[in-house]
Amino acid sequence: MQASRARLFKEYKEVQREKTADPDIQLACDDSNIFKWTALIKGPSETPYEGGVFQLAFAVPEQYPLQPPQVRFLTKIFHPNVHFKTGEICLDILKNAWSPAWTLQSVCRAIIALMAHPEPDSPLNCDSGNLLRSGDIRGFQSMAKMYTRLAAMPKKG
Amino acid sequence: MADSIATSRAPASLPRDLTKKKRTNKKLKQSKLDVRREQWLSQVKNKGCKVDSNGKDESHSSSMRIANVQNGSLDNLEIRSRGEENEGSSIHDSDLESLMNSPIGSTLDHNDSSKGLTGSSSSITSSGCCSGNVSEEEEDDGCVDDWEAVADALYADDNQHKPIAESPAEPETRVESDNLEVPNHNPGVDLSKTESGKVVPESRANCQAWRPDDACRPQSLPTLSKQHSFPMKSEWHCGRGAITWTWQRLSSQPSSCPICYEDLDVTDSSFLPCSCGFHLCLFCHKRILEADGRCPGCRKQYDQINVNMCFNERVAPFQLSRSCSMSTRF
Repeated sequence: MQASRARLFKEYKEVQREKTADPDIQLACDDSNIFKWTALIKGPSETPYEGGVFQLAFAVPEQYPLQPPQVRFLTKIFHPNVHFKTGEICLDILKNAWSPAWTLQSVCRAIIALMAHPEPDSPLNCDSGNLLRSGDIRGFQSMAKMYTRLAAMPKKG
Repeated sequence: MADSIATSRAPASLPRDLTKKKRTNKKLKQSKLDVRREQWLSQVKNKGCKVDSNGKDESHSSSMRIANVQNGSLDNLEIRSRGEENEGSSIHDSDLESLMNSPIGSTLDHNDSSKGLTGSSSSITSSGCCSGNVSEEEEDDGCVDDWEAVADALYADDNQHKPIAESPAEPETRVESDNLEVPNHNPGVDLSKTESGKVVPESRANCQAWRPDDACRPQSLPTLSKQHSFPMKSEWHCGRGAITWTWQRLSSQPSSCPICYEDLDVTDSSFLPCSCGFHLCLFCHKRILEADGRCPGCRKQYDQINVNMCFNERVAPFQLSRSCSMSTRF
């Protein structure tokens, strides 16, 4: 319990120090609760999410870093591995492949990578997964682009 | 040489902070100070010629003192030859020289190890020695800039007087036995200089630069007696320690536990619980064992039998670099 707090505090300092290091990720901690974090990530280029800014919410368990943080999209996103309604993310490193060596920052990077490389075979968004699995790349891309325009383009605070 | 290295290791952590501070403060002056350091290091090394050229000189009794302390008996030739085997550090035995030895040692060590290092280590070493210089000067007259100006002026002056100095140096036969040793000793010095592979012509020139009018040497320049009374003796030993520290840094051993971000101590650094080479502290390792027991680096189950035997005496560099790549990959 105390260890997770200390670790999160150090991650916070690290984030403050390397704020400019990764321009695609803005990680911020809740003012009153160090176990609540939010992140703004930029949609990777050459994907339908390009130009969008997506907000993530982190809920860090007290067993962190032994237990992975719970991450979900606050911004609507059309992606096979993201639940369209809840924003839940299906990502192995957030479940059984978690390693304590990961940080919140590296989780953000992993999510960006997931946006660029969807896994249609383990879909949380069946519509999106089905489009990709049926080979309708163009249909998937136009849907994803539309939701990016609708939900992620207007800047959020 | 061996004991100076051994003692130099122990106070490594304390002077490191000092050198860090000094490095930022004195960066601009470092080049000059480096030259000065080389200068009086070579003075000590070349004390043989010194004794010849300045045999009469009362103010330069420091070099004479070395000769006296060491060559108390008449068989100094023998001692000299022994000293040459020690790469010119024949002054080892006298406690007067215990301070002077460590800068020499650190210079040599630094040059030995500098192949695998970048410039950062050299800056640390030199700043360590130079900071010693500077603080000493501040003790003396409280003004470093003045000292530099004086030293520069004298340096230029000495260069003009150089040819005059060379000629009277030869017929000087005040210390007869020392005169014999000069031909023996000088090649030894040259050898060690070229071995260290650094600024050979510069230091030679510098050593000549101070030779002619040592009486006019600025008071603020360090003398051997002052070095003896220099309060922060341990700082002179810092060179080696700093290098060891930088080496560990550069060989990509994590300085803090990647799990809890606490600093790794010596025990933790040599603790390799997994064959993948992932470093972590004992505390986190225990916590992981109590949880799912998988290595954070490779996600394999920790081997319970291995855990008890995983303290390595000295971790090989290639293992370290591998551990780094593992930790960055995931």
